[in-house]
Amino acid sequence: MEIPAKSEAKKIAELMGAVSLLRNACDLDLFVFLNRHPRSLLSTEQLAALVGYPMSQIAESIEVFIAAGILDRIQNPGHAARLYHLNTHRHTPEGERLRRLVQLASTRQGRRSILQVIHTEGSDGEPGASKVEGRLLRVA
Amino acid sequence: MATSDSVRTGVAGLDEILNGGIPRGNVILLEGKIGTGKTTMGLEFIYRGASQFNEPGLIVLFEMSPEKVTRDALGFGWDLQELERKNRLKIVFTTREVLRQELQQADSVLLEEAAKMGAQRIFIDGVARLISNDRTAESRSAFHVLTEGLQRENLTAILAVEASALEVDATHSLPEESIADTVIRLTMEESHRAVNRSIEIVKSRGQSYQMGRHSFRILDGSGIHVYRRVQAPRMASRDRASAFDPTTRVTTGVPGLDELANGGYFVGSTTVVVGISGVGKSVMGLQFLAEGVRRGERCVMLSLDEQVDQILRNARSIGIDLGPAMQKDLIHIEYEPPQEIEVDSHFYHIEELVQTFKPKRVLIDSLSTYGSSLGTQGRLFRDFFHALVALMKEYQVAAIYNHENPEMLGMASMMGGFAMSSLVDNIILLNWVELGDSFRIGLNVAKMRSNPVKRVTCECEITAEGMRVLPRELPPARAPFSRYRGLVSRAPERQFRQTQPGGPDDGSAQ
Repeated sequence: MEIPAKSEAKKIAELMGAVSLLRNACDLDLFVFLNRHPRSLLSTEQLAALVGYPMSQIAESIEVFIAAGILDRIQNPGHAARLYHLNTHRHTPEGERLRRLVQLASTRQGRRSILQVIHTEGSDGEPGASKVEGRLLRVA
Repeated sequence: MATSDSVRTGVAGLDEILNGGIPRGNVILLEGKIGTGKTTMGLEFIYRGASQFNEPGLIVLFEMSPEKVTRDALGFGWDLQELERKNRLKIVFTTREVLRQELQQADSVLLEEAAKMGAQRIFIDGVARLISNDRTAESRSAFHVLTEGLQRENLTAILAVEASALEVDATHSLPEESIADTVIRLTMEESHRAVNRSIEIVKSRGQSYQMGRHSFRILDGSGIHVYRRVQAPRMASRDRASAFDPTTRVTTGVPGLDELANGGYFVGSTTVVVGISGVGKSVMGLQFLAEGVRRGERCVMLSLDEQVDQILRNARSIGIDLGPAMQKDLIHIEYEPPQEIEVDSHFYHIEELVQTFKPKRVLIDSLSTYGSSLGTQGRLFRDFFHALVALMKEYQVAAIYNHENPEMLGMASMMGGFAMSSLVDNIILLNWVELGDSFRIGLNVAKMRSNPVKRVTCECEITAEGMRVLPRELPPARAPFSRYRGLVSRAPERQFRQTQPGGPDDGSAQ
């Protein structure tokens, strides 16, 4: 994986401040997918197939987004499909940063750069669970 | 017949052919091959409902990304995101499998969402494999379940389906078509290497509608515009229209012609000026318009042969300056390239022009170019001309249509291959007459309904002051046409009479 230039890494890191809940590639790709499909009526299995990750990982990412308050999930018992609604308030400054991040993640190089930043941030020695918790606290 | 509770689609022109709209709660099957405009029409149905008729709507997509749909809609000026923010519209991405399951259950999440926002319309794009393309009872049943689910919520629904998936053709109807309340078919028809879009209401329960294949276009910045087929009946007032005022005339603007035409053409009359290229038809037409302008009457010229600047230049060459009249909005001159005229939209444009600009005089240059574009063998050209004539009569416009007759000398028929002289009130023939070593212009008023016609061949001349009809008797230096016979027969002969030496016909004339 190519390492992004320092200035670009800084720019990405700033943007990441708005979505500090993105922990890994699955989070990022699911987030981009939900931006393109802000209201999706799908089963977890279908969502996993469309985004390209195992169901367990997708389910975990969904829970993180819901906990962070950017994703609503509506479901009826007995229905396999759930209605997911991404609610990122696009017209707020945070929303604008998210829009730019998604835009960046929409290119092959941009996605790689973001993942590199996530990877670098993630290698600070913090244990996985508390890291997520910390991010959630920051979002909250 | 519009029902008491009709849903107006808001698609320009579509509600007119639906006689007001679609009965509320109807399930509409929108069929068409790929690229025919199904998605655009469905989106516009939802957009117009949410933005103009206070009817929120739901868009259900399968393969297509909502992001791209939103982007494409913006190209038509439809801001779907803004409507989503106002909770007037929702775009739901799902799969056919999920939708089928959803609509089979009374507590459907999708329909709950629709109910929460008070949705009255729904558009489901691409139901082909949802309703399956086999002919089994299961397929019919799946579609039935789908329509029942939609009706339960009293949603007026458009379900877009690819015609190829349904193998739709003219001879076989499908179970889905019989279950749906309304079936609308979109097609693309190839015509001389061009492609025209058309729309047909195949059926629609609970209402009357205008049958037949109408045209439509997808216009950047505005969306779909449906144009009623030119043959479709208009208002009764147009069917009854005629040149009913037998007293008011419009002067021709050509010195000497009014005397031959009993003072001018009746208002609302149809005049065809026939002659070979270069004989003076356009000059005569320009003088007709200039005369209208001089009298403060609004005029329109529609040209398929020459661009506006060229027309203005031609007019100046005979001493007519139409520029000031254009600035004062007294005259409207328009050029339309004839290569790809789509007759329904073209007629719509003329109709709109006549209704809004309200001209007293119209010049169309020329009928023969329409003939080349639309073809003269089928009914289309005749139907188009018939519609034009009826339109002009309804609005009591005196209309002149130039028509090029290919015969250079003489005329064997008045309108050549255009067997439409019965639709025309007045026919004026202009033709070359070869006398000695020069071509001179002969003019005949060959037909003038409700008027006595002299049916003599008169000579015209065109100078820097324009066209004029010469007197029947001319000074001795030039033998007038009255001294000849067979002027239109290609073999004019001088008639010699007993004259006094040195008199006007002593043979010394040219």
